[in-house]
Amino acid sequence: MARLDLLGRPLTPAETQLLEIYTTLKSVAAQPDLPPCAERNVKQALASMWQVANDLDLEFEQLYDVGV
Amino acid sequence: MSNRTEYWNPKNETLSREELRSLQHRKLKRLCEWAYERSPFHRRRWEKAAFHPDQLRTVADIQRIPFMTREDWMDAQAEEPPFGTLPAVPRDLAIRYHTTSGTTGRTPLRVLDSTKDWQWIAEMWCYGIWGFGVRPSDVVLFAFSYGTFIGFWGAHYACEKIGCLVLPSGGGTSEGRVKSILDMGVTTLCSTPTYALRLAQTAAEMGVDLARDSRLEKVVVSGESGGSIPAVKRQLESALGAKVSDMAGMTEIGTIMIFECANQPGGTHIIEDNFIEETIEHDGERPLPYGERAERVVTSLGRGFIPLIRYRTKDLVVKIPHSSCACGRTGDIYHGGIQGRWDDMKLVRGTNVYPRAVESIVRECRAVDEFQILLTREGVQDEITVLIELKPGREDHWTELEGRLCKDLPDAHEGLRFNVRLAERNSLPRFELKAKRLVDKRPVADFT
Repeated sequence: MARLDLLGRPLTPAETQLLEIYTTLKSVAAQPDLPPCAERNVKQALASMWQVANDLDLEFEQLYDVGV
Repeated sequence: MSNRTEYWNPKNETLSREELRSLQHRKLKRLCEWAYERSPFHRRRWEKAAFHPDQLRTVADIQRIPFMTREDWMDAQAEEPPFGTLPAVPRDLAIRYHTTSGTTGRTPLRVLDSTKDWQWIAEMWCYGIWGFGVRPSDVVLFAFSYGTFIGFWGAHYACEKIGCLVLPSGGGTSEGRVKSILDMGVTTLCSTPTYALRLAQTAAEMGVDLARDSRLEKVVVSGESGGSIPAVKRQLESALGAKVSDMAGMTEIGTIMIFECANQPGGTHIIEDNFIEETIEHDGERPLPYGERAERVVTSLGRGFIPLIRYRTKDLVVKIPHSSCACGRTGDIYHGGIQGRWDDMKLVRGTNVYPRAVESIVRECRAVDEFQILLTREGVQDEITVLIELKPGREDHWTELEGRLCKDLPDAHEGLRFNVRLAERNSLPRFELKAKRLVDKRPVADFT
């Protein structure tokens, strides 16, 4: 089944891919054993991908619990 | 594709009004659930007002939420210094600290941002800067001091994100900046309108005509209302030979919420997928329709560290429909940008000045008998002068007092320079009721 954005519209293939990247980064950012070079850069990347998810109505949530 | 579109976010900037309202509702509900759960400030006030986020069935239900004011925020900060009860997240998650002048004295309003919020701040500037026509090929000079005042910080990172060549000039002189504009082929200038005019004046004194001799094409102005005042804009465009766009924000939200697009419709589009902007009567709570002079109330959907929900700004605006502009954006417009204030706050060279905050510092000096705050325009620049009358027999204190005020007043106002002058005995007016110690002699803006 096609995934939907916040307004209930089907995601385009590019949007689906972007949402997957966002979700993956979120899951990686929550891992406790990353070295600083990975942890901080993943968090920066996740903060950037949050902007994409917010701009394209893919997801809207807070990320403070994963330190972003 | 990306360089060809005139919108930073084509999907949301062209949503139908109905879709926009629906999106705002979804975001508002989630933000309020978050704030209710995590911000002691909001939870306490909402419980007192019998409001719960479950009551938000449409975006119109926002009217069930109690307003918050700058005074409420300052009180919450005083209750639990240094950051108060508004933050929804512990301080150790913050990566940025900024301040804006307080309303009552030396204590500033303190603002924190996380990594995600800080990037969102730049993202909002991208809507405006891209929408005005800035592209990766542009060379952008920031005439900005890079202090705790939020100013153009977000714009700087927005231009980096867009891919421009960014020239910070924090410690530079006006002469040095003129030279950089010429030597580096600067195409875009970001500054306050006042400073942009001063730069043109400095260039003229150096024998340079920026309109003729430079590659400037675009000027992004913010921090003062000048960019939307037709006479000021004409003067800027003529002196710099460039198009001028007004973009307005506030430290309380950390970024801009409105911008003038490349069509220059005589107003600024609201970024409505990230802000809910209500217009209400300034002396009450009734919503006002398009075309009425109103107070703007902002809800910021992007910053969860410090959830700003139904914040009364005291800004004077006139909202008009998005259809007044042919650019295709569906975000409504504030005609003439931020046209002024409903309270006694004054903007001086981009810094907020509250007369009562100045008074509380001046009155700490027991030798002061009477004082007056005088705002003038010297050439293109606003000046703020505090005239002091000393009590009889206290003249010996003047040198020490002058030095103290010349330090304490700027310290409480993000470094804004104050002129402090001794007034002759009995030269300043005395008041029995409703003292008016601020005299604003600057020309009145005409937005027509």
